[in-house]
Amino acid sequence: MLTTPRLIAIALCAALNFAVGSIVYLIKLPLYLDSIGTILCALLIYPDRRAAFVCSFLAAMISTVITTLFINPFLIWFSATELALALVAAYFIADAEAIFRARPLPMLRFGTRVVLYGILTGVVSAVVSAPVVAYVFGGVTGSGSAFLVAFFLKAGQHLMAAVLHSGFTAEPIDKTLQVLFAALLFRATPKDFIEMVRARPQPAPT
Amino acid sequence: MTPNGAIALVIVVVLAAMMARISGLVALYLFTALFAVIEVGPHAAVALRRAVILMLPLAAFMILVWVGVVGRAPADIAASQPGSRMNALIYVSIVCARLFLIVAIVQIAAMRFATLTPLQFIQALRAPVALKRLGVLTLSLVETLLQAVDRAHTALIASGVITRRISARNLFHGWVLVQTVWLTAITSVTGRMRDKWPMEHTLQLLDPLLAETHAAPLATPDKLWIFSAAVIAVGIVWGDFHGVP
Repeated sequence: MLTTPRLIAIALCAALNFAVGSIVYLIKLPLYLDSIGTILCALLIYPDRRAAFVCSFLAAMISTVITTLFINPFLIWFSATELALALVAAYFIADAEAIFRARPLPMLRFGTRVVLYGILTGVVSAVVSAPVVAYVFGGVTGSGSAFLVAFFLKAGQHLMAAVLHSGFTAEPIDKTLQVLFAALLFRATPKDFIEMVRARPQPAPT
Repeated sequence: MTPNGAIALVIVVVLAAMMARISGLVALYLFTALFAVIEVGPHAAVALRRAVILMLPLAAFMILVWVGVVGRAPADIAASQPGSRMNALIYVSIVCARLFLIVAIVQIAAMRFATLTPLQFIQALRAPVALKRLGVLTLSLVETLLQAVDRAHTALIASGVITRRISARNLFHGWVLVQTVWLTAITSVTGRMRDKWPMEHTLQLLDPLLAETHAAPLATPDKLWIFSAAVIAVGIVWGDFHGVP
């Protein structure tokens, strides 16, 4: 399952998660953009769904560990969210890989899939993250979305409700952008690299 | 101490920190200080400075949101009480103390192996070869990516797509930079996988290097440190059940 081209793809996608996610975290936007590489990894490896899931989860965990060590000590607690994201990416988003690479670009189908999968990923992510945000961190995680939690708390909501509402407000927008960026990068990736990544390991000669 | 031992110790301390109240945090701070003095020595100051640099902006942000904007602690909100900014400040202080401990133990443990190169650290780990290979490839790609960023940045500035300083054009065309970096990196690694590595037998040379590890999974000092941290963690759980603050 873990061939050298796949290990390379995992490392590149982890680096992408780390680079974009860290910039967004440091400028405190109410977005995350830290899973573009996770989604892209599943798209690159797609027809083998199990490998797509394992590789995209590995990419997510490497970037999570590196980001936790150097930028954001909160992030490691969201490993379950990374797991859910990798599952959604491998078993749902990757289904659209043919549409994402179709030439000429089928604008309507492309846009519909991006929004649909963005909302799905956003809802899953919000539901899985909410208990961690509410019970482990009391609502404040250091990212820009804490302002949204504060806004809902000021409006008189209880902590869990405020965290869930904040998640449902920010996550679908964030994840739609992430699916869009991953789809555009996948579209731009050279065909020969994708073929190398998707090639199954050759059995040893007897 | 071995790399495996350091990783296990960090996991135990982090889990204990997440469960700890004030008394538990005090015990963990004392334990971490002892670990820093015995295992790292004077270099622990560098690790602590790094932890402070990481935590300060985060603490300022949490104070801004909780004390400045919300003005109440979560317990006040849950109990539908008016609460106060002082309660919010106490709450933020405890969360920050817990996070600082987590960041500090990670940095101190990392400092313990500062004399090893990343390759030596990975080589000394007791882990599946595929995972070690992934670690080495990730490290090797860091340099490739930095070069890709440099090349893409220079090319886009030269072609007038982005500018060297902060500008609106950078905001609108930042995405082009990400795409260009991605493509540059992909082109580099495709060339390596197809031509360079097979010619130089890089992977064949790497695998035996990663497979042979002479280190025991856990050394005696590892076991002592992990056992002590586990005892504190059990104490924290016991204190939690018996209402120790």
